[in-house]
Amino acid sequence: MGRYALRRLLQAIPVLVGTTFFIFVIVYALPGDPIQALGGDRRMDPVIARALRDKFGLDDPLLVQYWHYLTGIFSGNFGTTFRGVEVSSIFAGKFQVTLQLALTALVMEAIIGVGLGLWSALRRGRWQDQFVLAVTLLLVSIPPLVMGFVLQLWLGVKFKLGTGIELVPVAGIGAGEKSYLLPGFVLATTSIAYLTRLTRTSLMETLRSDFIRTAVAKGMPRRRVLGRHALRNSLIPLVTYLGADLGALMGGAVITETIFNLPGIGLQLFQSVYLRENTVVVGIVTVLVLIYVVANLVVDLLYAVLDPRIRYE
Amino acid sequence: MRVSMSAKIVAGAALLALAVSACGGGSSTTSSGASGGAAANPIKVYIGEPQNDLIPGNTGESSGAEVIKGLYVGLVSYDQNAKPQLNLAESVTPDDTATNWTIKLKPGYTWSDGTPVTAQNFVDAWNYTALGSNAQQLNYYLSVVKGYDDMNPAPDTSGATPAPKATELSGLKVVDDTTFTVELTHPFSGFETELGYSAFFPLPKAAFGADKKISADYAKNPVTNGPFKLAKPYARGTDQAIEVVRNDTFKGGKAKADAIEYKIYTDMNTAYNDLLAGNLDVMDVLPDAQIPTAKATFGDRYIEQASSGVGWLGFNIQTGGDYAQNPELRKAISMSIDRKTITDTVFSGARTPADDNLSPLIPGYRQGACGEACTYDPAKAKALWDANGGGKVKEVTLSYNADGGHKNWIEAAANNIRTALGITVTPKPYEKFALILDDLGKKKVQGAFRMAWLMDYPSPEDYLRPIFGTGGSSNYVQYSNKQLDDLLNKADSASSADEGIKLYQQADDLALKDLAYVPIYFYKVNAAYSQNVKNVVLDPYEALDVMSIERA
Repeated sequence: MGRYALRRLLQAIPVLVGTTFFIFVIVYALPGDPIQALGGDRRMDPVIARALRDKFGLDDPLLVQYWHYLTGIFSGNFGTTFRGVEVSSIFAGKFQVTLQLALTALVMEAIIGVGLGLWSALRRGRWQDQFVLAVTLLLVSIPPLVMGFVLQLWLGVKFKLGTGIELVPVAGIGAGEKSYLLPGFVLATTSIAYLTRLTRTSLMETLRSDFIRTAVAKGMPRRRVLGRHALRNSLIPLVTYLGADLGALMGGAVITETIFNLPGIGLQLFQSVYLRENTVVVGIVTVLVLIYVVANLVVDLLYAVLDPRIRYE
Repeated sequence: MRVSMSAKIVAGAALLALAVSACGGGSSTTSSGASGGAAANPIKVYIGEPQNDLIPGNTGESSGAEVIKGLYVGLVSYDQNAKPQLNLAESVTPDDTATNWTIKLKPGYTWSDGTPVTAQNFVDAWNYTALGSNAQQLNYYLSVVKGYDDMNPAPDTSGATPAPKATELSGLKVVDDTTFTVELTHPFSGFETELGYSAFFPLPKAAFGADKKISADYAKNPVTNGPFKLAKPYARGTDQAIEVVRNDTFKGGKAKADAIEYKIYTDMNTAYNDLLAGNLDVMDVLPDAQIPTAKATFGDRYIEQASSGVGWLGFNIQTGGDYAQNPELRKAISMSIDRKTITDTVFSGARTPADDNLSPLIPGYRQGACGEACTYDPAKAKALWDANGGGKVKEVTLSYNADGGHKNWIEAAANNIRTALGITVTPKPYEKFALILDDLGKKKVQGAFRMAWLMDYPSPEDYLRPIFGTGGSSNYVQYSNKQLDDLLNKADSASSADEGIKLYQQADDLALKDLAYVPIYFYKVNAAYSQNVKNVVLDPYEALDVMSIERA
């Protein structure tokens, strides 16, 4: 299993090089002059534009720029944004915000999604089941943007104005962990709904299988049947979903981060694509790819834990 | 074996939870508020993220400028009527030609590190900003000082920049600790007015390293000379707030607030919610969607006043379509736009119809200067259009950048023109303004495009020269009128401010006759504040007056 993990990690290297180059080319090919974009409605003074272009080597051919970037990375220099902020300091400050947001969302997803799914599956066809299905339908159909603003206004503003108690902060990360509860929930809503339905279907299918009938027939207590046999066998698709979702949550947090004013990576990524800041975009994407690779590896390794029949050569 | 498996899953979940709380611990130490230095209860003011470090000569956008305003003072500041008042300067005296200026400083002002503010501080700062290779945003404003051209050689044909011939402005001379002289490249009576802009603020000796550059460490924690100073270094890009505390050694008066926290938001609607909830005290700009209800919500804590902003439609008069090159057709298009309805309904009153190229805030603004051309009259517009060969025009395009909330009013204007002139009008969105500029350079913009301007300093010159002067920095329409250029030069060297304004107005009249840019609307400042503060005053730059605000 160790060798398997090592091989998977080594496979990530060509993936990373390929991705960085691919992203670099895409950002390079975006229309518009990135330096002029800094000036907004005003034309950049040609002298200043010149100085900035030279500083960032923007007139070099694409491959030369990419080479400069790669060699910079190996000497520990991730470059700076066009506004002069070091990319490494962005990594340090912002990744942790997004990671915390994504993990909060992931935990909520796992607890609420799997919990609701279980409840629903075990009460199949009854009103509880119908209720859960209706709720998930509602969650899927409200866009996170709307959900974010509405919950922010109700729980953040109106509740505080009405009761004088701050249930959750309106925005920012000033209140520590509490700051992430509402944004985390908003980010997780769609996934909660999917995960609920996935859990429900998966568990219902397992409950119909022969080995469950056998376990019930031999008089095993219900708790053990459910916990040991049914749930564990239904977990594989759920774990797959959660693993893939971590990457999606980290990359897709732009809207949530904007609404709740969280200084995270999603917003930075958006701004950098907009400003064509190659070094920042590639840097962020590289780390996202790494997280994706590792998360997928963990998921693959978990398969063996969940189902001993799966072996890695 | 099986037991250990489920234990593993539990352990995994616990690990996740641990990771979450570990992150929480990390971030709360970097977050604002909890950390020491600032007073317990600062006044909280909305800003966006500053584009650059808090160096005056490199701050050209409003968020950074808002903070700069509290941290630094210049030679001149402006009163509520946008008239210049001496601040650090004891006197600013031109010679007869308005080319050579002598500036004397008031004694006793100091930097936050205790050293006195000297004439050399101004000369150092201006030299730094003026040197092209330092890439300071406000570099251009130093071009009035003699010696600027030598420090900013134009790129040669291959695109490479030759080394500058000088690293200091030859027009600046330090006479003594509190006196220096400035020689300008041409007579310019409005120079004193310009001095209140942050391009002309001083920098202390401590700002410059051995290489005469500003280091990144200094930029995080600058030494300043204003009524406030930084409570702790500001790490741009990661910090969510800039905290300043009152500088009690500031000689120019004592600010009423003892601390201000500038909270950085990425979304104005979020900030507005924080303002409603009482987590934010002042917003000097409101989201467009909230303006209709803000007045009722905030009552007498809602502020509405004139802004220096003007919005135009510009026509590419050299390389655009036939209609863009014909002043009468441009006038017909202008007359078919219903400015009143657009400002009232599309902007819910957050703009007013424009009737001049100058904002109502600027000394020299004349109500109705644009006259007939800016008055909605579809019948007359149609007659003018047909009489000048408009019948041959197949399509009129209106280009706009879709990232700035311009879609609605451009489409409303397109509708107006379509109805009035009976032609096809196509709104053409661009991803951002820079792409419109690209296409203008490639002569690919046929029709009109939107453009706006916010003043740098309150003078008609700051509107007319950059926008309508030949080769001006925002003259994207390639408008060139020798008569107008001559009038601007004459106005610059006028012996009195009033006489200068008369000449600027004559130049403005020419621009309004040629209509290369058609004024559409004036911006307004919409602000609101919480119950926790009072005496909230916005200066002509739309920034909070840090001296007068206090806790209620």
